[in-house]
Amino acid sequence: MSESIFVKDLNVWFDKNHALKDVNITIPKNEITAIIGPSGCGKSTFIRCINRMNDLVTKCKVTGEVKVDGQDIYDKDVDVVEVRKNIGMVFQKPNPFPKSIFENIAYAPRIHGKDEDKSLRGTKVSKYSKKELSDLVERSLRRAALWGEVKDRMEKSAYELSGGQQQRLCIARALAVDPQVILFDEPCSALDPIATAKIEDLLVDLKKDYTVVIVTHNMQQAARVADKTAFFYLGELIEFSETKKIFESPGEKLTEQYITGRMG
Amino acid sequence: MRRRTKERLFFLLFRGCALVVALALLIIVGNIVLLGIGTISWEFLTQFPKRNFTDGGIFPAIVGTLYLMTLVMLIAVPIGVFTAVYISEYQGKSRFANWLRVAVNNLAGVPSIVYGLLGLGMLVLFFGWGFSLIASAVTLAFLVLPLVITASREAIQAVPSSLREASLALGTTKWQTIRHHVLPYSLPGILTGVILSLSRAAGETAPILLTGVVLTKSILPQDIWDTFMAMPFQLYALATQTVFEKTQDFQYGTALVLLVMVVLMNLVAIIIRNKYREKYKW
Ligand SMILES: Nc1ncnc2c1ncn2[C@@H]1O[C@H](COP(=O)(O)OP(=O)(O)OP(=O)(O)O)[C@@H](O)[C@H]1O
Ligand SMILES: [Mg+2]
Repeated sequence: MSESIFVKDLNVWFDKNHALKDVNITIPKNEITAIIGPSGCGKSTFIRCINRMNDLVTKCKVTGEVKVDGQDIYDKDVDVVEVRKNIGMVFQKPNPFPKSIFENIAYAPRIHGKDEDKSLRGTKVSKYSKKELSDLVERSLRRAALWGEVKDRMEKSAYELSGGQQQRLCIARALAVDPQVILFDEPCSALDPIATAKIEDLLVDLKKDYTVVIVTHNMQQAARVADKTAFFYLGELIEFSETKKIFESPGEKLTEQYITGRMG
Repeated sequence: MRRRTKERLFFLLFRGCALVVALALLIIVGNIVLLGIGTISWEFLTQFPKRNFTDGGIFPAIVGTLYLMTLVMLIAVPIGVFTAVYISEYQGKSRFANWLRVAVNNLAGVPSIVYGLLGLGMLVLFFGWGFSLIASAVTLAFLVLPLVITASREAIQAVPSSLREASLALGTTKWQTIRHHVLPYSLPGILTGVILSLSRAAGETAPILLTGVVLTKSILPQDIWDTFMAMPFQLYALATQTVFEKTQDFQYGTALVLLVMVVLMNLVAIIIRNKYREKYKW
């Protein structure tokens, strides 16, 4: 398996709060990697380093190296906008735009334009035609298993959808930009079991084409969908290996305590 | 028992206060409407005043006030909105932004006559703009800027950060996020604030009195460097004349038109707010 995300000596501070400590991890391509750990241990902080969302927090300081597809995304010459185009993110609470279903998906592609040549990394772009754009919207919605439910009401507000549908809309929205990596921060925590199951199926399906990283509080969810699992505790990466191994024979005492529920 | 009497007493007290307010409003508005309505006619709205404001109409004063409001809006809205965007989206934590916030809050409390003096000293005399529409408009723009900035800031900050993150995470720039999301979603709030502050400016007398308004003028303002007539000043000037009884109808008519204009603006603001409160409920 080739590597997708390579993290070396990653440290994050919020003011004086040392939120991540010397994290080293290599996340493989086309697999699902789950991030687990107690609340406040730095899971969100970690994945928000991968698409540089932490840049938005003024008092946040990041040191170390994060490479995505061989490119150091914290390099001075790197355009953070390009980084985020390449690395999609789905948030804990569904956050569709208060616009139509169609507009939610079409917004970013319309801004980015169509890549004439993928290898040129967005240097040669042209505008999407109307037809191409609606094809792209349809493709993204199909990929997110939402098309059937919304195809007759594309012009309706995204706020009319149920929570689970909204979350799949957010996934479709991320897919429409055609990223290589998709980060999920507890994507199901606001959803019921049926909606959750749908998203889990989708995740497994997505890993064929994307590298998927998912933060979850739900141990069963990690066990069900993830190929590899990383356990964080108090800002440190305690253990990272095959999901099966983490859940059946964890190498660390802390991991075992956590997954057996003997720790908060 | 005693407790219930006390309870009842307080209730009556509160209700009494509320009644005083309602009554005062009713008397003022009722008075103006009753005494002014008889004067209102097509001629009154479309003609120049004749025979020392005893005949004819207030057309140039209406037009002057409308010109003035348009200019104030053109000046204050872009500056106010962009300042609000700068403070809340770009430089929230910088010393400059903090200083700006304090300045804006304090400016809102400055009496309007002070703005008038500033306009007179700086725009009319120092810049040599003379007594003019533009000098008055800029002076009034200064006056409403704090209101526009505060209203815009509140509207902008009401847009949930989850939507900004959603947009940025798609690889769009900060400006694209502001342009396509933050501004459109906060527009109703901004608009409401703008209209309310304009309606405040519409009735201001002191700032224009010192910078460009005149009582009589035989033609409409020809350009922004020209002087102009305006309703609040006309009202003030006629009411303080020694022969004010003669122009009483004219005064009430002017007051009514001004009142209707301000009420209409407030009404539009309320309608916009209610309409969009439904659309963007986070
Ligand atoms: N924007 C921020 N400003 C200041 N401190 C922050 C910020 N975001 C996170 N932190 C701090 O960083 C630490 C890690 O937080 P993080 O959100 O990554 O935890 P988490 O593992 O995702 O928790 P949860 O499971 O509750 O989502 C916490 O101590 C938190 O207080
Ligand atoms: Mg979190």
